[in-house]
Amino acid sequence: MSDNAREFVFKLTILGDAAVGKTSLISQYVESTFQEDYKPTLGANIIRKDVNIDDTKVRLIMWDLAGQEKYNVIRSMYFQGCVGALLVYDITREKTFAAIKDKWLNDFKKYVEQEGAYILIGNKKDLEEQRMVKTEEGETLGKQIKACNFVETSAKYGENVEKAFENLVRQILRNHGEDIH
Amino acid sequence: MTEHNNGLVQNKVITALLQAYLDILDYDGMKSILKEAGMLEFKDRKGTNPNEYITLSPFKKILFAQDVLLYNSFDLLYTIGKKFSFYLFPFGKSFQESIEELTQIIKTNWDIKILEKTAESINLKIENCIFCSKIDNSCDLFIGFIVHTLEKTLSAQEKVIYEASKARKKSFQLKLKIKKNNKF
Repeated sequence: MSDNAREFVFKLTILGDAAVGKTSLISQYVESTFQEDYKPTLGANIIRKDVNIDDTKVRLIMWDLAGQEKYNVIRSMYFQGCVGALLVYDITREKTFAAIKDKWLNDFKKYVEQEGAYILIGNKKDLEEQRMVKTEEGETLGKQIKACNFVETSAKYGENVEKAFENLVRQILRNHGEDIH
Repeated sequence: MTEHNNGLVQNKVITALLQAYLDILDYDGMKSILKEAGMLEFKDRKGTNPNEYITLSPFKKILFAQDVLLYNSFDLLYTIGKKFSFYLFPFGKSFQESIEELTQIIKTNWDIKILEKTAESINLKIENCIFCSKIDNSCDLFIGFIVHTLEKTLSAQEKVIYEASKARKKSFQLKLKIKKNNKF
């Protein structure tokens, strides 16, 4: 690392309906693991990961927020200080895709004070035979909501998971004036 | 005199803090902090003697994990602090008694002094605060704790507003003002 290396701490949230794979995406990204059985997140699962992007050290504090409605009241506090989000839907359930625009993006914009970056993620790419949301629909929505990128992932097999997180972090670094490609 | 290398803490302090995490961050939030601290064995504290003293080290690890994971989450920390007070000091104690007890149940090189006390305000000085963040020196959890400790002794028509002034790292003064709530 050069002498000019800079350090950042970014708080990110992972948003989306229950059971779209938010916790699995983080487990895959942080620990390269995948749990077959579904256990709903209770409240907020908070995980730290330190990464290097080019010459820049970044500490990510990732808030995997419960998708259940009972947390709606306290959720606004969870967003404080957040600079980015992963908006996640499940490609096998159309309802979760509609909720990105109807709920999760609104929540992020409503509660995040500073201008944050967000990426759109279509998860469960490995369940191609059950697909209900076409890739093109995801791409169109990504452009429509001005997401910094759109990626389809498989949290189960790790496909595109690292790419999704890195894409988002690069965009946040650019928002902070860093010369990052 | 900035590090709290030695010291003792009563079990009930840790239990109250974990209960506050549980209330505000729910089970996974509490677990996340314990995991970051490398203290997952503290998940279930049933059967521990609340008044027994243990070494300060696990408590410090939990507070440091909180500093890392709740970075920039000032409102949450303040709210957790209020809950922490609720669980640590149930109703029935005066503000002064609670403050005096605090340095007895967390024994280390820190101090809290009531500099001035009137019917409308209390001025406190906190030296070498164990709750100040090791990362950015903020202290929202402990401020929430102190505010609620006073609020519990007041009537429903009164509320507490505060002003904090940092003298130096880990030391600050806290002015609490008691205001009548105009809604009543």
